Amino acid sequence: MSRYQSRLGIGAVVIALTCGTAALRAHEIGTTRVTIAVDDSGAYDVAVITDAAALAEKLETVAGRTPPADSSAARLMDVLTRNQALLRQRLHLTFDDVEVPLALHISVVPATDQLSPPVANIRLTGRTPTAASRLTWRYGWTFASYSLTVRGTTGTGDPVWIDGDETSAAIDLRRIVPRPGHLEVVRRYLTLGFTHILPLGFDHVLFVLGIYLLSREPRAMLWQVSAFTLAHSITLGLAMFGMIAAPPRLVEPMIALSIAYVAIENVFLSRLRPWRVALVFGFGLLHGMGFAGALKELGLPRSQLLTALVSFNLGVEAGQLTVIGLAATLVGWHCRNKTWYRSRVVVPASIAIAVTALYWTVERLAL
Amino acid sequence: MLHRFRVLATFALTLLSVPALAHDMWIEPSTFLPIPGDIVPIRLRVGQKLLGDPIPRDPQLVKDFVIEQGRVRTPVVGRDGGDPAGFVRPTAGLAVVGYQSHPSRVDMDAGKFNQYLADEGLTEVIAERSRQHLTGSGARDLFTRCAKALLYTGAARGTQDRQLGFELELVAEKNPYETNGDVPIRLTYQNRPLAGALVVAINRLRPDDKLTARTDTAGRVRFRFAPGGLWLVKAVHMVAAADRTRADWASYWASLTFQPDSTTNQTH
Repeated sequence: MSRYQSRLGIGAVVIALTCGTAALRAHEIGTTRVTIAVDDSGAYDVAVITDAAALAEKLETVAGRTPPADSSAARLMDVLTRNQALLRQRLHLTFDDVEVPLALHISVVPATDQLSPPVANIRLTGRTPTAASRLTWRYGWTFASYSLTVRGTTGTGDPVWIDGDETSAAIDLRRIVPRPGHLEVVRRYLTLGFTHILPLGFDHVLFVLGIYLLSREPRAMLWQVSAFTLAHSITLGLAMFGMIAAPPRLVEPMIALSIAYVAIENVFLSRLRPWRVALVFGFGLLHGMGFAGALKELGLPRSQLLTALVSFNLGVEAGQLTVIGLAATLVGWHCRNKTWYRSRVVVPASIAIAVTALYWTVERLAL
Repeated sequence: MLHRFRVLATFALTLLSVPALAHDMWIEPSTFLPIPGDIVPIRLRVGQKLLGDPIPRDPQLVKDFVIEQGRVRTPVVGRDGGDPAGFVRPTAGLAVVGYQSHPSRVDMDAGKFNQYLADEGLTEVIAERSRQHLTGSGARDLFTRCAKALLYTGAARGTQDRQLGFELELVAEKNPYETNGDVPIRLTYQNRPLAGALVVAINRLRPDDKLTARTDTAGRVRFRFAPGGLWLVKAVHMVAAADRTRADWASYWASLTFQPDSTTNQTH
């Protein structure tokens, strides 16, 4: 909310910056601002920020109704939502000269004080068609000039001024979102995979610790970690290529439950059993779908999907091995055969993990 | 009623879909009938048929932004880049708010420029271009906004609109809030009456019924302004641009806004 208000607040700065070109500008500058952002996964996000009351007035008049006298944010939101189809008629986004259907999301930010007008925030999101090379934009609901800012992976461009209803110059997608180099993709997704475990993936950390706590011999750990890694690589790959799909609503609570299970079993089980390895494999399949959900949110460069996927997976592995390495250093691998190790380390730590994981299970189910 | 709305809707659609040529600019206070001493936000708006976009205060464009009450003229305060563009605190009687811009240049191709001249009734310029065989050429126009609004607090009667000295200016010769709606309007260019100019008046409640008249030799038109709804009176004047301006024409856009309701003029 404050982000949009501050954008309007920079009006003065924008005006000051553009005064040099004032004499060539056809129209007065209004309060409308448009930002088009494209990332290297091909997702676009257009944000139109404009005076909500002025827009509602035009829409209602064109629709043949009396414009609203009440300009509260809630009322304006109603009017804009009701006129979505009409609003869409003057929003045009093309890729390589082909217009795309737009998914609209409208919100109205109420005025922070009595003096500021409510601001409408119209967002259009979607995916650029594969191999599209340029886009154009046209907004026909303002009479004034407005600024258009384009943001790609190379940074944010200078705002250009467009008269209402004028079509923008073609924006070169290959220039604003250049194809990343191979090494760059490897480096970026290795980092993303690693940070997805450390420090961002506290639940995965606890799962790995659960495995570590039951591994008195290196063989036990090797079996479990291998089973886990193999399993999550399989589901991550399948999910990323769209061959399987599972709703996060289901996957996330089950991941939490799997952590609780491993920890509880640690309390009752003193050594590794073969079925435990099978279970860890099954849980790995689940965690893989969780990783896929995260990776989808981060976005993948379409041109180098496989490279990014493998790098991300390797990053995840590195993160897990780091967790084990840290645990071994802190708790002490050499203590694992001491008589007190089980009663003072494995059982209390497992109980703590189980309690945390059970709490997460409930929390994630409630969402 | 429904039929009227449908006509209006079709009209508004057409209006919004024609390429943006020449837009009106007017002053729109949050209320035209404030209580004396209240702070009134003043918005500047650009658009067509009284459908407009707010224009924030642009220090590079503002030449004059004033409020005149009685004989006292004070600047309209406001934050640069702010919308509303300014704030006033009217005292008793009629308050005249005025905004005059510095010129801005717009370059148009022949088709757009001819359409603009026809829309605004600038017959003399059309004739002049024809004489010079320039009808097929584009043009560079330096346009200046000269907008006024009349606010009325009603506590003191007998106060009048005043000449602010804008390049092109519409002056209400009677207080529109204290008459039965019959108000002579005088158009001046550089403080002298301008004859033969097209003056148009539209009301926000009936934007399809516009009143039009050409000024007489005294620069005067007479309209009957029904109470209710915002009234916009406007006129455009165009002259050959001065030599050193790198433009062909200089245009001046006068507007006058007010909104009498049925209670303000009961005594007449």
